[in-house]
Formats: sequence, C-alpha cells, structure tokens
Amino acid sequence: MITIVDYGLGNLGSIKNMFKRVGVQSEIISNLDDIARAEKLLLPGVGKFDAAMTRINQSGLREVLDRRVLIEKVPVLGICLGMQLLTKGSEEGELDGLGWIDASAKRFPNSDKLKVPHMGWNVVRRSSTHKLLSSLPEDARFYFVHSYYVSTAQPENSLLKTNYGLEFDSAIHAGNIYGVQFHPEKSHKFGMALLKQFAEI
Amino acid sequence: MVVSGDKELMKCTRCIYDNRIPNLTFDAEGVCSSCRQLEMLLEQYGTGKEKGKRLLQEIIDDVKAAGKGKTYDCVVGVSGGTDSSFLLAKALEWGLRPLAVHYDNTWNSAIATENIRKVTASLDVDLDTHVVDNKEADDIKRAFLYAGVAEFDADTDIGFVQVLRTAAAKYGIKYIFEGHSFVTEGLSPVGSNYLDGAYVADIHDRFGSMKRKTFPNLTFYQFMKWVLLYRQKFIRPLWYIDYDKDEARRWLTENTGWVYYGGHHLENRASTYAHTVWLPQRFNTDYRNLTLAANVRSGKMSTTEAQAIYDEPVKADPELIEYLKKRLRLSERNYQEIMTGPKRSFRDFKTYKKRFELLRPLFYILAKANLVPMSFYLKYCFPIEETG
Amino acid sequence: MLRTRVIPTLLLRNESLVKTKKFGRFTYIGDPCNTVRIFNELEVDELMFLDITATKECRDPNYELLKDIATECFMPLSYGGGVRSLEQARKILNIGFEKVCINSVAFADLSVITAIANEFGSQAVVASIDYKLRFWRKPEVIKGSNQKYTGKSVLAWAKDLESAGVGEILLTSVDREGTWSGYDIEMIKKVAAAVSVPVIAHGGCGSVEHIGDVVNQGGASAVALGSMVVFQKEGMGVLVNYPDEENLVSVLS
Repeated sequence: MITIVDYGLGNLGSIKNMFKRVGVQSEIISNLDDIARAEKLLLPGVGKFDAAMTRINQSGLREVLDRRVLIEKVPVLGICLGMQLLTKGSEEGELDGLGWIDASAKRFPNSDKLKVPHMGWNVVRRSSTHKLLSSLPEDARFYFVHSYYVSTAQPENSLLKTNYGLEFDSAIHAGNIYGVQFHPEKSHKFGMALLKQFAEI
Repeated sequence: MVVSGDKELMKCTRCIYDNRIPNLTFDAEGVCSSCRQLEMLLEQYGTGKEKGKRLLQEIIDDVKAAGKGKTYDCVVGVSGGTDSSFLLAKALEWGLRPLAVHYDNTWNSAIATENIRKVTASLDVDLDTHVVDNKEADDIKRAFLYAGVAEFDADTDIGFVQVLRTAAAKYGIKYIFEGHSFVTEGLSPVGSNYLDGAYVADIHDRFGSMKRKTFPNLTFYQFMKWVLLYRQKFIRPLWYIDYDKDEARRWLTENTGWVYYGGHHLENRASTYAHTVWLPQRFNTDYRNLTLAANVRSGKMSTTEAQAIYDEPVKADPELIEYLKKRLRLSERNYQEIMTGPKRSFRDFKTYKKRFELLRPLFYILAKANLVPMSFYLKYCFPIEETG
Repeated sequence: MLRTRVIPTLLLRNESLVKTKKFGRFTYIGDPCNTVRIFNELEVDELMFLDITATKECRDPNYELLKDIATECFMPLSYGGGVRSLEQARKILNIGFEKVCINSVAFADLSVITAIANEFGSQAVVASIDYKLRFWRKPEVIKGSNQKYTGKSVLAWAKDLESAGVGEILLTSVDREGTWSGYDIEMIKKVAAAVSVPVIAHGGCGSVEHIGDVVNQGGASAVALGSMVVFQKEGMGVLVNYPDEENLVSVLS
C-alpha cells in the first residue's frame, strides 16, 4: 500500500489513478497518525517551495516524515516539487528543505533559445544501475514542467540525468529516499513502469 | 451429466457443440445439424473448389462491370478484425476498387482504429465511416442491459449493415462485401443471437430515454429499400475460397503491420464485454465454441484440444467492467441489479420474425440472387422451436 | 532534447466529440472517454479539449465529464471553453488538468489570467487567439462562436495577453481550420518573434510535413492537430489516429 501524502499541494488524483491502473493499491492520506504507519510514502508537490515547506513544517508533518523516513527507513518517492523538497533548499525560497539528500535547486537561466519553465517531454539518461530504473526502456522519456532544477553534490545520489540547456539530475536517491523531477503520472507507459517499480522496492 | 431438466448431455461426434445449444438436433450418426448445414453450404458455394472459384469470378466480373466509370466498385465493411482486413486485401488482389466502410459505435479500442488505419493506408484504400452520437449509443446500451437480453451488441451488428448499405447507396455502388466465413466462424445456431431492427428499436423504446437520431437502424422499410429498390448485392466472398485465419493474420501482420487482438471481436470494447462478461456470466453462454467448433471441423484442432480450451472459463477483465459502469453511469448497485434482473429474449419484444417467416419464398429468391445473404434466409425465415 | 509538442485538439459539444470546418458545420467524432483511451493506447504526449458551446450557452464547464476524462488520461491535459473565473480554473486544475485555456473572458477582463497565473504559475494558463482574414486579407482577432470581429490585431492582442501573464498562446486560424492546407506560417512567425512565450500553431494541419514546416520555418514551439487526428484522410471517414513516431522525428529533428 502506497501512502500518498496530502499536505494540500499537488494533484493527487492522477497519481492514485496511475497506481490503480498498474494494479497497485494506494491511498491519499493527510492524517498524521496514518502517515506515521505508512509502509511506503509518496510525496507529491506542485507550486512554490516555501509554501510547501511551510505546510510541512507547521502541521507536524515534518516530525512524522523525519522519523518514518530517516529512522524507520520507509521508502519514499518525491515527485516534481516533492523531489526538490528532499534537498537542502531552493533558490526559489528562503526556507530550508527536508535536507534528506545532499543537493539543492537552482533556477534555469533565462535564454532566448530555451524558455523557462522547462515544459514538455524530455529524455532521461541513466547515471546509475539502480533497481528503480530496471523496467525503463532505453528511450524512456517523461513529462517535465519546472523552473528550478536539482543537482546532487555526490554523483552516487544521481539516478537519471536530463539535458535542458544544461545537464541536471532528473532523478535522485539516497538509500530509501527517491525523487523524480518529472511527472510519472503524466508520462503514460514510462510513468507506469516507474511507479510500478517503486511499488515493488 | 444432466444438463437441464432430464436432458442428458449429448455432444456432436464431429465438432464440440452439444445439446445445450437451442434448436440443435443430431442425426443417426450423432452429427449435429450445424455440421450438416455447413456441409450443405460447402457444397452450394463450392468453398475452396473449382466451383467456388468460378462462382466468385463471375461475381468479380459483375462487380467490375457494374462499377465502370465510378470511383469505387464495391464496399468492404471493415472493423479492424482479421476477416474484414483480409477481405480488403483480397478485393484489391481481385482487381477491384473498394471503398472501406466502418461503423464506429464509439467503443473501439486503439487496436481496431490502428488496424483500420494501417490496412487502409498500406493498401491505399479510402475509408468512409458513420459515427453514432455517443450519448445515444450509451442510452441504447443501457437499454439492452436493463432489458436483460443476450444480444448486448445487437445495435452494432445491425448498425454495421445499415451503414454499409447506406454508404453503397451514397457512392452509387451495387456490391457490398462482408467478411463473414462460415468455415472459420460456423453459423451461430438458429435461436441464439437474434437480431433485427424492430428488436433493437423496441428494446430501446421500452428501456431507453433518448430519441434515436444518429443510430443507423436497419428497419424493414430500409431493408426492402436497399434490396428491392437499390438492388444492392450482399456478397460474402470468404464463402467461396479457402480461408485460413492464421495464415490471414500472418499475411496481414507482415504486409500491413496489422496487430492481433487476441480473440473474436475483441477489438471493440462493447463486443468484448458481450463475449467475456455479459454472455458467460448472465447467460452461461460462451461463444468461443463457434470458432473452436469451426477449427475442429476444418481439422485445425482436435476435439480434445478445443474442449480443453472451452472448458477453461472465459477470462473477464475487471477494468472493462469498471469502464462500462463509468461510461453508462451505473453505480455498483445498478450494475448488480442488472446482473441479477430478469432475463428476456426476442420473444418478449416486437420483431420482424413472423414477417420474415411469412415472406420466406421471397427471401429464398433474394438469397439465391445474392440480394440478401443465404445465412439470413436460413436463420430468420424458419420458425424457431421454444426451448425449455 | 525537448520534443516539440504535438497535441491532438479535440472539440467537445455537449458530451460528444465533434469536428468543425472553419468553425461551422460539425461531424460526430465519438465518445470523449473512449477516444482518450485510444490516445492513451497510442501513447500521445498531450491532449487539449475545447468545449465549443460553453461560452455561447453561458454555462460552467462540464466538471463531471472533465473528471471522467482526467481519470482516463495519463498525459498532460488542457481544457478550454467557458473558463471565466479563477474559481472555475481552480476546479479544473484540481480535477487533474495541467492547463486552462482562456479566450472570451480576456476581452472583458485580463485580470482573470493574472489571477490564475499567480496562483498556479503561468504555465497553467494558455491564451487562445482565434483570428480570421477580414477585408483586404487583413487578419483580425475574432470572438465567440458567432465569430465577431474585435478590431484587434493578432500581434497587439498577443502582446497584451503575454503581459497579463499567460504561459503560452494557442493561435488558431479560423480560415484554415479543417482545410488540411497547412498552417499559417507567416502569422505564426510574426507572433513567435513578438512574444517570448511558446506559441502553439493551430488550424489547417494536413500532414506531417506541415508540422515540420510550421516548427522549422514558423518558429512554433508546439502544434495542435485537429482534422488530421480524427479523420482517415481529407474528405473521408472518421478514424482516430496519431502520426507515426518515425515520421514526426524525421520532420522535427
């Protein structure tokens, strides 16, 4: 059972639908006690960094997540803004991130050629042989929509890389903690492969 | 093994049909009436023999002559399935200029649309379609479910014929080719799977709530108009030639990129529901016996193999049922009511059956003249005994 | 490399999909959900739905239908048609759509666009501009299903919309709609050069070559397909389809 954390941001229905389509049970939960019991967590997110961190910090969710993820080592997957929250912080906001992975988010430079946000389908390059990527085909592509990109400090934390003017980490991980910058729930068969794989970790 | 009442289970000595099928009889050798009927048709149409070749060539010559000066000389009904796709290819091989025609009941899967696209594109054939308004289509489907009749997809079957005939008239084409093969499919036994325009209309009138505006119904009037006024010839070319479905599929895949969808009529979600859920669960009917029996008769499969497949219950996809409920706006409760509600048959509704029986001599002549399919005559113009 | 977005654009009329020619007569195309399923199965990258009678009928978007569509779709979705307020946009985006498409309301009040962009980000708002050639072959922006001329030039209006905060512009040539004759490359070029937001070309696509032309020569960031994805060929029957991957790659690289 995957627990999709509802802290008020992000489109959770689509994620739940995709899990359902690949035969994985999931629930959308905002109640802290239930989150504390989750076997696997999914951290969605759309919108602004500080808005998200504020909600997480002020609701008591922060403590629950830290314990479940850092101490009890429950697998967690952050999607889009959810992945950026896993890092130390973002240029977009003032607040610190969860700091679970040694990385930070920076804004894409403005340029005539490449518009910001990075929006559309783009390909990914493997920078790891981790199990999470095992069912992805060679030409896997995903739907991205973001103005800030993440770079990990340590290369071993990078799972996938993508190029948009510069190369950035489109998927990261550290132990039981995973993050993807793209939206698997909007990336049809590629997203399904990834989410199914996450469910099986 | 006792089947119903005191009847003992009797199986045909040739194919796998048994006496659970209504109106099936067995002769002294234990061969069923369906097998015998097939023998008769094989003889009549010279299937795969010189006679069949000759008869078909005569038809082809007539088609060419009648189509001179027109853009297309024949209409080929297509669904994305094996038979119709292959037939389209054959029509070109025979030197004809077909127009592919499709009735879109709004329940197509991507396999169906892609197959139609690939086959028409690689054979460079134009396609005409009629799409029914999806809300009307839903209203009709809901009516059929509430009516509790076995023929869940009757509206598509009827609509298909009406669309073919209408397209033929629109383009001034006299010849309609349809991909039915009695060898590969068998003839669905008399008494099961009844279809006619009055039946569809009455079910919808009694259990539906919308007016039919875009649904192409083949009413008696329409039927007679096409046959007597337009004198359209309805031909089933696969009845004349050797036709092997596996070979056809191989050819199609190699030459057009066509993809197999796994079973009879499983390229459309409505007919898939009918064959894998509605008929087996509601009516304990599994139409895989049509194809399996045909395979046994033509020697492709042993009776043991066929029986083994048939004994395994047909697989239903729970996702498809969810889709149906969502599409037809049925709650789980509605759906359960439908699945446990009263069952009805064509005898409970207005049909043209009596009329067809009364006009039997006329239809015999029309069938001989290829203005209506012979299978229509055999199935509709004879009274059907009541079954227990 | 970011792929050029090729977006089937489907028109909703009540609860059916239809296709129009020059915004006029329509043909039934099919059931919205079943068609979405087919596009899912065809692994299409993005879909756009435009409700062509919502504004005329002064009604809300059909949220039930949108929910059904969103639950079928595993790719990004945009919706346009009668979106007049932040509240409506919020509902639509919460249902699972990525973007809303704004047209009529902008003529009366550009601030709706700004409000939506502020709350959801500019990438969630697409401005839709329909234009037609008036006298002396001069293109002019039109409004509403009765195609009233507004007196606005396409370029000026596009700039206004950009200032209001839209993330993209959907530029539709009404004259070319349903004609299979190719996009209005000249106009696309002008608008793409004048604004910094992506421009989606719409109206007239009849072949993969047209897609290549409007992207390579016109500078379109994305293309919207209408007739091409719902008919087998020009003048022939309805058949839901999507260009072959290889063909797209060959014209877009």
